Amino acid sequence: MASIILPGPRRGIQDQIARLHWPMIVMLTMIAGAGVVTLYSVGGGSWSPWAGTHALRFAFSTFVMIVMGLIGIRYWMALSYPIYFVALIALALVPLIGDVNMGARRWIDLGPMQFQPSELMKIGIVLALARYYHGLRAEQVSHILFLIPPAIMIAAPVGLVVLQPDLGTAIMIGATGAAIMVLAGLSWRLIFLGAAAAVGGAIAAFRFGVLHDYQLKRIFTFLDPDSDPLGAGYHLLQSKIGLGSGGLVGKGYMLGTQRELNFLPEMQTDFIFTIFGEEFGFVGCVGLLLLYFAVIMTGMNIALRARSHFARLAALGVCVTFALYVLINTGMVMGLAPVVGVPLPLVSYGGTVMLTIMAGFGIVMSAHMSRDADGTAL
Amino acid sequence: MRVNSNDPEKKEVVTRRAAVFGGGFGLLLAGVGARLFQLQVLDHEKYQRLAQENQFNTRIIAPLRGEIVDRFGKILASNRQNFRLLLMPDEAGDIEAALDRIRKFVVIPDDKHAKLLREIKRTQGYAPVEIVNNLGWDDFSKINYELPHLPGAHPEVSETRNYPLGNATAFMIGYVGAVTERDLEAPENENQQLLLRQPGFKVGRDGLERTYEKELRGVAGSMDVQVNAHGRVIEEIEDSIKQPTQGETLGLTIDADLQLAAMKALEGESASAVVIDIETGDILVLASTPAFDPNIFTKGIPTDLWRELNESPYKPLLNKPLGGVYPPGSTFKMITAIAAQRAGVDPSFSVHCNGKFWHGNRFFHCWKKEGHGRVDMKNAIKHSCDVFFYTMGTKLDIDQIAAVASELGLGEMFELGIPGMRNGIVPSRDWKRAHYAGTPENQIWFPGETLSVAIGQGATTATPLQLAVMTARIASGKEVRPRIVRFRGDLELPTPHAPHLDLNEEYLQIARAGMNAVVNEPGGTAVRSAFDNKEWKLAGKTGTAQVYRITDEERRRGLTKGEDLPWSRRDHALFVCFAPYEAPRYACAVVVEHGIGGAKYAGPKAKEIMTAVMTKDPARLKAMTPGALAQNASRAREG
Repeated sequence: MASIILPGPRRGIQDQIARLHWPMIVMLTMIAGAGVVTLYSVGGGSWSPWAGTHALRFAFSTFVMIVMGLIGIRYWMALSYPIYFVALIALALVPLIGDVNMGARRWIDLGPMQFQPSELMKIGIVLALARYYHGLRAEQVSHILFLIPPAIMIAAPVGLVVLQPDLGTAIMIGATGAAIMVLAGLSWRLIFLGAAAAVGGAIAAFRFGVLHDYQLKRIFTFLDPDSDPLGAGYHLLQSKIGLGSGGLVGKGYMLGTQRELNFLPEMQTDFIFTIFGEEFGFVGCVGLLLLYFAVIMTGMNIALRARSHFARLAALGVCVTFALYVLINTGMVMGLAPVVGVPLPLVSYGGTVMLTIMAGFGIVMSAHMSRDADGTAL
Repeated sequence: MRVNSNDPEKKEVVTRRAAVFGGGFGLLLAGVGARLFQLQVLDHEKYQRLAQENQFNTRIIAPLRGEIVDRFGKILASNRQNFRLLLMPDEAGDIEAALDRIRKFVVIPDDKHAKLLREIKRTQGYAPVEIVNNLGWDDFSKINYELPHLPGAHPEVSETRNYPLGNATAFMIGYVGAVTERDLEAPENENQQLLLRQPGFKVGRDGLERTYEKELRGVAGSMDVQVNAHGRVIEEIEDSIKQPTQGETLGLTIDADLQLAAMKALEGESASAVVIDIETGDILVLASTPAFDPNIFTKGIPTDLWRELNESPYKPLLNKPLGGVYPPGSTFKMITAIAAQRAGVDPSFSVHCNGKFWHGNRFFHCWKKEGHGRVDMKNAIKHSCDVFFYTMGTKLDIDQIAAVASELGLGEMFELGIPGMRNGIVPSRDWKRAHYAGTPENQIWFPGETLSVAIGQGATTATPLQLAVMTARIASGKEVRPRIVRFRGDLELPTPHAPHLDLNEEYLQIARAGMNAVVNEPGGTAVRSAFDNKEWKLAGKTGTAQVYRITDEERRRGLTKGEDLPWSRRDHALFVCFAPYEAPRYACAVVVEHGIGGAKYAGPKAKEIMTAVMTKDPARLKAMTPGALAQNASRAREG
């Protein structure tokens, strides 16, 4: 064990723990704490069914993050392709052996626990692309031949996830992958070409009916929310009422009427920011957003201080994923983005997403711990 | 690979790009913040208002329907608590399991069970569904006790209409039924939509319940309630309660005891009876048999029962005292006698009856084949001699008879507020002209027709109510007008003014004397209808209305008696009477459909009813007033 953990000179385990990036851990705990507090309110002032479980999951996920952080970044580099392929194979197996839930097949039942391959892929795509660009020279990044492998690496999982169908996750994986390519130094010309291709692809997806009716409806509703105030636009309207009626300082903890009266679906997951905003107001919301901003800035800082290119790109990839979660979810609940079912990281109830995010921060933590390692040797 | 891994150029690019990402993220987050500012600070008031509109709803509190009471305050229609069990499917969890648990305490038939599951599926579980209603108190309290183990079950107390006299009052009071689309569209319900849409709200469907719907309905109250997204009430806001006002009480002229006595007397027959207080016009009895139970109708009329009632030859859905029209037969002979006197015939004028009367080119038969011998006017009534009245028919013009008939109330619609009333026919030249408006050749009045009318046949028809009014007018000499509603809420309706008839008292006295003789003199046609109590004197007149003419062929085969004919071809039996003879107070008409003969079949029933009337003598008793009723009610509340 010690030989795996120690990237440099031998150090005791207490030393290792002390070297963890504690400010980051504290900020993540504060965000998860906001989740526990809000879920307690959503549960009608009760630890069950959500708040208690959420706290326990966060404790477990934090443990996972620390263990992952103690593992040297070189090992993660070595494991990056294997993790990606395991995730890809699992994704391919979902249509064959997965469970259907809410009309979508996303889960694989592993007996005592359920396993969602698309979540593993969110980590896998970050690791695999970081590993890929780690091995390229700067001038090779925008070379046409070297574009093909990352394109396939992104397209394969995105395609499989769209088929489940899970548009939100597909967008997350695709956007994260594209972001890492941009971070790696893709030329601006190619970036604009890629953006154009993505827009063209989206239009094609509309045209040829790749999207399900409910997905189309959500997008149309986003474009014109008042068209269907009691159907798909209903949730958005109710969400805006919840946020707006919260005002500057909120209605007070456990006093949200929209929450109390069940006007919102999925209050514990996708629309938790609405509940938070209703009870804590503009001040509370801005506070939470600033916490997110601080976490991401800290994460990017860790990334840029790493000597290894793999560590830099992997940690940045995790930050990008995290930022996307925050932007899409908050934008969604206030009508700036379509309702695509993306949770608010660490606040929304949901064990798999939390574990994914904390595992991601485990990579960031590992990059922090191994910041002096250059990744040139195992 | 080793060479490239820590390429400083790569680090530089990543750092630049990361700065772009960081900046971009910061900008987007600022955008989110700006949007939050707009929603939570700038547009706060708008969303605050929307949130409140979401939360609060006005709930209608249905008023109690006004009660209907008889002349002494006895309840004829009231509201009874109905214990029912509702299920909120979204609270129940597994619906099948929830229903199985409930089934341990109350019976849910399999077809009802399947229907409930379908209904729950249709409403997607958001609307409460009624599992059972009209639960007994035992079952209801058992369910309340077990409630913690029955998630989603909501016991509820609501009001249903109750008619304690059941079928005895079905025709006059009618019944209530579920609100229909037509009710919702009716102009008088324009501002009542919310109330009418209350689950289980009922409106008057027939009888007085229908006519006095506006008065009986009352005024809805309201209450603000806090609701959740599914409209489920979370909290009732106590200060906002506006109490509903119960509908007005309707006080009827009916005497419930006598009504029941009449129903009993008529039991097993297709018959009707009307009793009127001669001095006030108050209808004391308005009986019709067979009748339906309005308590069943109130819950929704079962199709097979409806078909059975509709197809029955005894016409249980026909309100016979008001909507049944019958040839008055010999009960009309008083009218002919009065008309003859008015035309100048002296009551001592007599006729020799030998059983038949030649007129035109044919014989008119007397009901007594061997004839009555010599009869004067009074004895002609006493024996119901047809030949005497045929003779009067030759001396009278049809319009002279029609005038007296109209004066005595025939052909007139008495507006009681009970739907389905008919006016019958008083034949006259005008009537015939109007009746045959399309065929002028049929409009001529033939003298032979006057002979038929003189004995109450021909086109003449009347309702039992009209016959009772006729009797009351003959007995009193006044223009008695019937009524059925005494008071409405606090408003006591005045007794209708009854001026003297435009008929000479002496003419009427002959008719009365004749009717007295019918019952009280040996040889009268209805001596067996005399009161057992010899202190009271009943005066009456029998009548038999021909339904089917026995052919000569049948007569030769020996069929002469009505009893030998099938029921539907037998004659109607009628009896009209008043009592006491010396100081008339109560008038009565009884019609037994296909009852063969008035003396044998209608008279005894009239006697039974009038004996009950005379025994109770309701006119002597103090009737209920709105004030006394309110006092009783408040005393009952305090007690």
